[in-house]
Amino acid sequence: MSDSLVFMMGKFEAKFPTDRQYTKNHCWAIPSGNGYQFGFTAYAVRLLQDVYFLEWQVDEGATIAEGQEIGFIESSKAESELYPPIPGVLSRLNPELMNDPSRINVDMYGEGWLYEIEGSGEKLLDPEQYIEHLASVWEITQRTIKGQLNE
Amino acid sequence: MPKRLTVVVSQGQSNNPAKRKLEEDIVAALLFEPGIEVTIVPHLYDLKNDGPGMLGLQAITTDFVVLSWLYERATRWTLDRNNIRGKAGTSLLVHESDEDEDDLLDEPEDSDKLRVLDSRPIPNRMIYCVDLRVSNKLEDYVDEVKRIHREISTQVVELGGLGGSPSPTPQQLARVAIPTNDTALKEGGELEKPIDIIEPLRIEEDAKRRWYPVIDYSRCTNCMECIDFCLFGVYGVDGVETILVEMPDNCRKGCPACSRVCPENAIIFPQHKTPTIAGSDEVAGGGLKIDLSQLFGKPKEDDKSIDTAVRERDEQLLLAGREAVGTNVGVPKRQADNDDREKDELDNLIDAVDELDI
Repeated sequence: MSDSLVFMMGKFEAKFPTDRQYTKNHCWAIPSGNGYQFGFTAYAVRLLQDVYFLEWQVDEGATIAEGQEIGFIESSKAESELYPPIPGVLSRLNPELMNDPSRINVDMYGEGWLYEIEGSGEKLLDPEQYIEHLASVWEITQRTIKGQLNE
Repeated sequence: MPKRLTVVVSQGQSNNPAKRKLEEDIVAALLFEPGIEVTIVPHLYDLKNDGPGMLGLQAITTDFVVLSWLYERATRWTLDRNNIRGKAGTSLLVHESDEDEDDLLDEPEDSDKLRVLDSRPIPNRMIYCVDLRVSNKLEDYVDEVKRIHREISTQVVELGGLGGSPSPTPQQLARVAIPTNDTALKEGGELEKPIDIIEPLRIEEDAKRRWYPVIDYSRCTNCMECIDFCLFGVYGVDGVETILVEMPDNCRKGCPACSRVCPENAIIFPQHKTPTIAGSDEVAGGGLKIDLSQLFGKPKEDDKSIDTAVRERDEQLLLAGREAVGTNVGVPKRQADNDDREKDELDNLIDAVDELDI
């Protein structure tokens, strides 16, 4: 793998390859066809830890909007609804993950990719911008981890 | 020689027989431990500041362990508001939580905020808090108390000996040299003294159920959002302008609104049903998984906890025969910058109406 940037999550070094772009909801993106292939970043995977279950609520070919719920993930530590990083047409879901979502843990920047979306990459972040974004959301992330949002 | 350790058992509020039995079994099991003294008080949170319960606890000068039906933090800061302070001992008998999150959470970022506790001297003695809801096994508590007893006994004696146990008196030393042996078995095998004369110290108090906030000063930054938000005069400041719960019994039963607006989650309502409001330190409520949806792109709803707090406050205002205020009073500045859109016609119209002197 090429060079990577590091963000310290407490004592954990989260690494982010510089050969790709990133999204605010903790996905990486590399160009593919008319759009991008996406997967979870080390930041997301560290929060999730072992992925147990992954489910999609949309099929390949569906048009997906910003903020639309497209799936659900459950891991040893967390669960989350999933939302697309960019709007567009969902062109491919990683078929390998359907049987074995733990590939996300094994090779998050490669074999463990999530899906491909045809759409505009104008909102994607450079690795440096993503690191800045992480620094700005780190406090709220920690409060989420501690379950102290008092909701 | 083991150091003296006081074990305080704070009773549950109800007469739940299972709870009472656990309390009494613990007392019975610890009563004969050398170096351990047992004190029983009614439910810690319900004790009045100047009642016999708190006065009894204030009189304890040694290291002590409190066993109560409260989260550790709730116990610690309830004691703190009654001027019962010490270094926080680490109990190993705790609610299950994700220990391995520690490497994520233990970051220096928090240290740039000054907490109220940072500017307070802490007496040189240990206070351990144990939640009686962690286990229903007697042995767990007895073993933990014994472990704590060993732990404090093996601690290096502090230079200056502030708050440490006093050295033995000449009389005590003499007794060690020439034991009187008055509890030893007589030749006939009978005990000279019946052992049931050892009694724990039971402090009675007519403790009615109370409801008030308890501030965790290791989190509080003295930002004053609670005093701005609460319209019932619960909060005040002390001589050095530090926030305090001045009129606890002005608090509206069941209302935890101020804890929701606290940006540091420093306000504990020990009796609230939501663990994080009741002082739990568990990760995501223990057992429950963390919901990362917000981080993974869930569209932002309005700040839910503030909305809830405003609604709860309005309910209490109405119950108290006052008028609801909605978001007009004391809503944290965090929200103020949400509203910087340009004024539209309606806003201008309202401004014009406001300017009319009617």
